[in-house]
Parts: sequence; structure tokens; C-alpha cells
Amino acid sequence: MTITGEIRSSKRRSGPPRLKITSLEVLCGILVLALLFQSRLVDLLDVPKLRTASTVFVAICVQAMPFLVLGVLISGAIAAFVPASALRKLLPSKTALAVPVAGVAGIALPGCECASVPVAKRLMQQGVAPAVALTFLLAAPAVNPIVLVSTAVAFNDTPMMVVARFVGSLLTAMVMGWLWVRFGKMEWIAERALAKLGDHSGQNKWAVFAESARHDLVDAGGFLVLGGLFAAAFKTFVPVAWMQTLGGQIVLGVIVMAFLAVILALCSEADAFVAVAFSALPLLPRLVFLVVGPAVDVKLIALQAGAFGKSFAFRFAPATFVVAILCAVATGVVLL
Amino acid sequence: MRRETQNILLVLLGGALLKISFSGLYLRYVQKSLLPLLIAAGVIMIGLALFAIIRDVRRGKAADDGHEHSHSSRSTWLMLLPVLAVFLISPPALGGDVVNSAADTNQTQRSRNLLGELPSADVIPLSMTEFVTRTAWDESGTLDGRRVKLTGFLLRADGDTYVARLAISCCAADARPLKVRVTGDVPALPDEQWVEVTGKVVPKSANEKNSWVPSFTVESFTPVPEPVEPYES
Repeated sequence: MTITGEIRSSKRRSGPPRLKITSLEVLCGILVLALLFQSRLVDLLDVPKLRTASTVFVAICVQAMPFLVLGVLISGAIAAFVPASALRKLLPSKTALAVPVAGVAGIALPGCECASVPVAKRLMQQGVAPAVALTFLLAAPAVNPIVLVSTAVAFNDTPMMVVARFVGSLLTAMVMGWLWVRFGKMEWIAERALAKLGDHSGQNKWAVFAESARHDLVDAGGFLVLGGLFAAAFKTFVPVAWMQTLGGQIVLGVIVMAFLAVILALCSEADAFVAVAFSALPLLPRLVFLVVGPAVDVKLIALQAGAFGKSFAFRFAPATFVVAILCAVATGVVLL
Repeated sequence: MRRETQNILLVLLGGALLKISFSGLYLRYVQKSLLPLLIAAGVIMIGLALFAIIRDVRRGKAADDGHEHSHSSRSTWLMLLPVLAVFLISPPALGGDVVNSAADTNQTQRSRNLLGELPSADVIPLSMTEFVTRTAWDESGTLDGRRVKLTGFLLRADGDTYVARLAISCCAADARPLKVRVTGDVPALPDEQWVEVTGKVVPKSANEKNSWVPSFTVESFTPVPEPVEPYES
């Protein structure tokens, strides 16, 4: 229940104090107000920069929603049809060995990063070790066939880029998994992410499927929108042009491209086309862009904070950022 | 947030996806190939919400699972933002602002679009991508002296006039600007007006110094409405 929201809204409206206002009335109120002030809203946004930002915001949401829906459907299917015991049998019992298996399993989820967050969360709830689920979370958006093919199309002059991206991303995911085995603490992950599902025995499996998917969608949708807001603001108001000119030096280039990957929050299926356009830069910083992007970006940090809690996201995201840069540079030096 | 409110939000968001899909407005935001996925996502969202509503109605009062939702109920409100944006504001396709603030224009790849011989027609319609790629990479001068038709929007900067267009690979967030400097009689049309221009390239006018922006001698300008597909891919 949105208690704070109710209090605030009841203050705003000076209705009789005993009227009970729930989220439903608030929603209706917002919709009516928005309709009434529509033309005012449109005028307000009639500044080139704001128009650009609103288009980019809608574009990111529209682009990501189908993949989030795919993710929650898979997550719902796991909840309803895959018993925890089956997952345990599928994975090696030793977590350190299960990590690379999870990384390679990422090949099977053809989507971008929005799809993998609900799936990873569901895996944890079904009793998969967090390190294993997190490896899957990082690997899936970067190593699946759709992303690799689009990378190959974009970099058709330098096919090694595809191999380097695959290796660098898989390495990042596995290193993060092993780091979690060694240093990770369960208490960083919000309790709700680990809470076992209620007892569904006796319930219709399809009902469990639909309810879990709906629940995950409502949970993650808001955070996806939040990530889209940040990405649109950064994309429009951060002087990307200026950052690119800084990227001439190789070390500076690596750092600048890593940060750009985080703030642009591109879909992993599209980032290769953007990377190829940074043609003033050598290949190594562009590889860093491709390896960091699917692993850490503002949209993903928002989704992770929503799924696993803030204290998890604020540790996991910076660590992934550093590990991804190192893995990408190592891979790039060997392969490119 | 109450279950009923969540379901209404899902129906609204799914409805917004379907609205832009069927009205064709989705092309302002994403690539054409996403259409089936968009429709599927919208239908599934509405379906999941309806399923929950029907179940609740059948069981009588909705089972309150508030304890399970308390953590994220406030963020769920954000799902209203894209709904309002789509239904009330309907943001336009990206245009001149993005072209002007971009660092690089006309970033093309050598092999991707060297499409061999041009057709032998009198006026050859070309995409901006192909035109720009040929002017940057094709040293044999296949375009020289050929009459070409380009479609884009007008843009004025630093006393020069350009015809510009954006290309996307996935969604509008990854838009890449393409532009061509036009010379000759430029009619008094407003910026961002879409035009079809016919004319000839100034040979060897695209080079590294001018970020591969070729010059184009225009013979005719025709104002046209904004194309259904505002971006090239």
C-alpha cells in the first residue's frame, strides 16, 4: 500500500478528512489532471532539448518493454513449471563450477539486459546460488546469438570484434560470479529477492505462471521507466560530443567509453552500431564500450536496485564496472 | 499500490504500446522490425492484467497481497509516465537538435554499403546513407555527374544549408546523423521542413576536414510531408 502517497494526496486535495483515498482514486485524479492540462504540458515541452529528451525517453521504454515482457514470461514459466529440484540437478553442485555453466547458458536467452534481470531473480528464488544467477544475469545480454550477429553486421570489417566481445563479456560474467562466491554476502541482497515463493501446490500451474509474470512485470516496469528517464536525460544533456574528443588517447579513451556505455544505456542489440560509428577511436575503447554496456548501465542499475535492493546494486554495479573494463582490456590486448 | 490500480496501469501501458503500433507512430521511436514484438508485448500486458482482474472478480474481493508489494509500490507509479507521454504528448521524431549537437556526422562503413553499379535511370533516388557512403568511400566517382534524389529535412547552421536525416539501428536513442551541404537556390522554407532534393554531388567534396559532409548542387527543391518512416536504418 502506498501509505505515503495516500497521505500526500489527501493533503493536496482538501476533501473531507474521512474520505478514504486509495491508489485507485489517485490514479484517476492524475489522469483527469493530465487531460485537463494537456495543452499546457505540450507547450511546456516545446523546447528542442526537452522534445529530444522526451522522444528518447519514449524510445527507450518502447524498445525495452517487449524484452522485459519476454523476461517476465520466462521467469513466470520457471516459477510455474520448473521445480527447484530440477534446477539443482541441472547445475553442478559446486558453485564455483556452476558459474561457467551459467555463463554459457546465457547464450540461450535471446534478448537484451531487461529480460535477464527478472529471470536471474527468479532463479535465486528457486534456490540457485546467487553467484550462479548473477553470472547468468551478466552473460545473457552480451553473449546471445542476436547480439553477436548484430555485432558482426556492424563490425563487418573487423570480425575479430565479435570474438573479442563474446570472450570479454563471458569473462566478465564468470569473474563476477567467482568474486561473489569468495566475497559476496547474502545480507546485501534484499530479503524479498530471496523470499521463497508461497506454496503453490494444488494451484493451477497456468495461474501461477500468469500471476508470477504479472507480479514481476509490475515490479520491474517502474524501474525500467526510471532507468529510461536517466538515460534520456544523460543522452540529451551530457555533452557527448565533448566526451568523444577526449577519447583520442587510448587510456583516456577506455575510461571515457566505459562511462559512455553506462550513461547511454543502449540496448545490447544496438550498441555495436553506435560503437562502430565512433570511428575516430581505436578498437580497444570501442570493445570496452561493448563489454561494459550490457553489464552495467543506468537502466540496468535501476532494474537491479528494484529486484535485489539498493545495498546490492551500489556494490554490484561499481564492481562489475571495474571488472568489465579489466576483462575487456585483457581480451582486447590478446585478440585485437 | 492496490492490485486493481496495478492492473489498470498494465492495461494503460499495454494500450499505449498497441496504440503506437497500429497508428504507425512507433516508427518515431523504434525500428520497423520491432512491430510484431511490440504488438505481442501490448497484448500480453493487457492479457496478464485481464487474467488477474477476472480471477479477482470470480473470487470475490481481491486477495490483498499488499505485504508482498509494499517495497516497490511507489516505483510502479512511474509506469504511468510513458502512458502519459504516448497518449498526451506523443513526442515527435528526432530532428535538427540531434544533428546539431552530434559530434560526428556521416559515420559510414566502407564495405557495408558499396552496392556496386548505380541504376541507369535519369534521376536516381538514393537513401542518405548510401549517398553519404559513396561520397566518402567510392573513389571511382560513380556518383559524379549523376542526377540523384535525396529525402531529408532542412537545417541551417553557420550560414550553410543542409539536408539532414537520422539513421537508427534499434531505437531513437542510437540515432546517427547524416547530412549533405546544399548549394544553389535554396527557397525560403523553414528549418526542419522535409524536402525532396534533386541535384548532383560536387565531386570530391567530402573529406575528413568537413567530417565527410559532401556538397550537393541542387536543381530542384520539393517540400514533402514528413515520411512515415522518419529514420533510415
